[in-house]
Amino acid sequence: MQLLPSNVAQDVIAAGLAAGADFVDIFIERTHNDGLVYKNSKIEDCQSGTLFGIGIRLIHGEQALYGYTNSTDREELLRITRLLGARISGPAKNLTLNFENLKYPSIPTLQDREVNTQEKLQFLNKINQRLRNDPKVSQVMLNFTKKKQLIEVYNSEGLRASEERPYIRLFHQLVMKDGNLQTEAFHGPGAIGGWEFIEKLNVEEVCEGLLKQANTTLYASPCPAGKMPVVIDNGFGGVIFHEACGHLLETTSVEKKASVFWDKMGEQIAHSAVTAIDDGTIPGAWGSLSIDDEGMPTQKTTLIENGILKNFIVDRMGEIKTGHKRTGSGRRQSYKFAPASRMRNTFIQSGKHEFGELIDSVSYGIYAKKMGGGSVDPSTGQFNFAVQEAYLIENGKITNPLKGATLIGKGSDILTKISMVGKDLSLMAGMCGSVSGSIPTTVGQPPLKVDEILVGGEA
Amino acid sequence: MKKIMEKVMSQITDNKAQGDLMFSNSSTLKMSSQKNEIATYNVTSSQILGVRIIKNGKVGLSYTEALDDDSLNLAVKQALQNAEVTDHNPHEQIMEISGEINDELIVPEDEVDISVKTRKALELESKIRSLDSRVSSVPYNGYSEQDYYSYYLSSKGRFTTYKDKSYSITTSAVMEDQGIKSSFYDYHTSHTFKDLKFDKVIETSLFHARNLLQEKSLPTGKYSIRFSEDSLQSIINCFSNFYSAKASMDQMNPWASKLGENVISKDLTIIDHPLFERSFRTSKFDSEGVERKPLTLIDNGELKSFYHNSVTANFFKTKTTGHAARGPSAPMGVYGTDLLIQGKNVKPLPEKYLEVIQLAGLHSGANRVTGTFSLAVKGYLWERGERVATIGNVTISGNLMDFLNNVEVVGTELLASTDESFFSVPLIFHGVSVAGQ
Repeated sequence: MQLLPSNVAQDVIAAGLAAGADFVDIFIERTHNDGLVYKNSKIEDCQSGTLFGIGIRLIHGEQALYGYTNSTDREELLRITRLLGARISGPAKNLTLNFENLKYPSIPTLQDREVNTQEKLQFLNKINQRLRNDPKVSQVMLNFTKKKQLIEVYNSEGLRASEERPYIRLFHQLVMKDGNLQTEAFHGPGAIGGWEFIEKLNVEEVCEGLLKQANTTLYASPCPAGKMPVVIDNGFGGVIFHEACGHLLETTSVEKKASVFWDKMGEQIAHSAVTAIDDGTIPGAWGSLSIDDEGMPTQKTTLIENGILKNFIVDRMGEIKTGHKRTGSGRRQSYKFAPASRMRNTFIQSGKHEFGELIDSVSYGIYAKKMGGGSVDPSTGQFNFAVQEAYLIENGKITNPLKGATLIGKGSDILTKISMVGKDLSLMAGMCGSVSGSIPTTVGQPPLKVDEILVGGEA
Repeated sequence: MKKIMEKVMSQITDNKAQGDLMFSNSSTLKMSSQKNEIATYNVTSSQILGVRIIKNGKVGLSYTEALDDDSLNLAVKQALQNAEVTDHNPHEQIMEISGEINDELIVPEDEVDISVKTRKALELESKIRSLDSRVSSVPYNGYSEQDYYSYYLSSKGRFTTYKDKSYSITTSAVMEDQGIKSSFYDYHTSHTFKDLKFDKVIETSLFHARNLLQEKSLPTGKYSIRFSEDSLQSIINCFSNFYSAKASMDQMNPWASKLGENVISKDLTIIDHPLFERSFRTSKFDSEGVERKPLTLIDNGELKSFYHNSVTANFFKTKTTGHAARGPSAPMGVYGTDLLIQGKNVKPLPEKYLEVIQLAGLHSGANRVTGTFSLAVKGYLWERGERVATIGNVTISGNLMDFLNNVEVVGTELLASTDESFFSVPLIFHGVSVAGQ
């Protein structure tokens, strides 16, 4: 597969170097998307499309210049390169390139079997019918997306690398009503792979989980407010680490000193029970990559080990600006974004405690069974998270379901207040939005106990 | 481009189908500064053509960024194939309107030299640093300009053109003092370079970041709250499906059956105004080429109308309100334009209230179906007309419907959001749950 002829790539890179750039890379992308929206018990929308574009980056010192176009025309690519190069004041460099195809271990993906629409429809009907067996369900929406991203990278170090990335996701959403009460529940499993991943979903388990979540929140009491211990369950609970800490470990924040952790390498930043990993190599995982969008083979990176900060998440610009070695973490949504240091599959490693021990240890607090999304201000570390499914813990027992719970705090504080880590690690797919766009990432953790978080609820 | 679109359209009609095409093109220049040097400099251009085909009552969508013949042929073929897959939808048709209509912003030729733009972009960082030694970083700053145009062509002969030019600046201040950190950012957008308010974004970022160094929590309890125009806009827009006939069709609108009922305080009237003279950008037509006009959504507390496109209008046997919303790569939806919240029965400001200047968590902490939300906020505590404390580390929670019923109008002037697309009289919301200390 070759998306851009290497002689054109060579000309573009040569033009960038001649303008004085220290480094030039070209990112070429062709992505085919298929989407199917199932709603009102039928297929409502079906669409497909192809995105194609080329991003050119010139690096000079700590300056990154970036341009993109939909055209493969050599002259147009050279025009953009020269436009960017005009911003550089440095000596011209002449370099004869002989691109070498990068050889790298390919991360195994699940099968991408071609499936006809009838088969998809049958599968979606099955989920719809199962959910609608509960008469309170007023709407079921299933959003099936399939994406095949082909990328190619050339750079002035003579690298040529390419990868084909198949993504698949089925996003479930249901609306439940009872009189004036109304609520929603979501679930969005996804993977690198194809239909095989969907076929392997346990429909009964997924539907039961959604119905339980909706039935719980429909009749839940308002969440009490104030500072209290919180047990955060596994899986999507990991979003709290992703938002509150993960983003602060990306060199995109670190290089600007916009992260509270920018000068904490080697220091104890978390409770000793915490070891955190960012791993791009997990077979089939939603956030896995064989190579990153800068053409570097991805890797498993230990971020925090027994509470001590071991590594940042580093892309090429991050390496230039901070001196920390690249970790295969240069990622972007598409050619429309310059790459930035981004998370892949990020999780806290399993600990030694049974789930029951975590609950037993709380006399009055919250059990956050399913987290919603959240956000963080990297410069202050302040975060906020919604809890989708929550329960009160009273005297070591899970009691009433709660609604409207939000957790707020500072990432650096929370890390030191994780006092118990459970055994049962699980990962969940999500989309992460940041400076280089929206990308697939996995979050995960075993159940955790945080000794104190400010819980926003009803006063 | 019109000729290319007509050629594609002839392929659609040759296949005995109806359809419409949306084309958009944008080119941008962006730069940001770090350590008082330009750190990022982006020059971009992109285009996309979206195809919607309706054949035998079934709808298929496709899009392409490549405009060569093969890619265009493939896009039509894919849309036709996709139309075979979807269920019959008698409500989705191409509007029976024709003729050309244009909405092209006329602005003076940009004669500002790139060196001037670069110098001003650098100031977004350097000035902030120079004005307060406690500024530890300016992580978000930048200058950008965008040229955008789009065309719409339907098989019924409707052709529209839209053209816009915008300039935008943003900056931020991260401050640190005795181990305490704070941050605030501000932005401004205009249609010409000379109208950009560089000093305003710098001063606003610094002003709030300085104050937030002193932030403290509040005791948990019930408070009266006044939202900044930007905060109020965020909350109201988050629940825009309350006005959406599409959300009603999808069983996701809690106001679906409440037309003609009082849904909020009788002191409030809410109008969707695509042509409001104070708006940053008016909008003459929607994504189906339907001409727009002001729409009263709520009149003195009574729900009067929903946003409709032709699909929801056919479903509910009414007329479209000109609120079709669709991008080249997205299916048909509805969306509002600029909102005006007017009020009557003006009361004095309460002696004590919390002014919210920043809120976080709307994308996850708000339930768009029920109207409930729980959000982290920052702001100022006011007592007897004095700003007495800066507040942070607190959350507010409640339900939008309760909020809008338990509200008082405290002024007559329509105040604008920063992006000049939302205008409201000053409002105070009473009995809001605040979680803090």
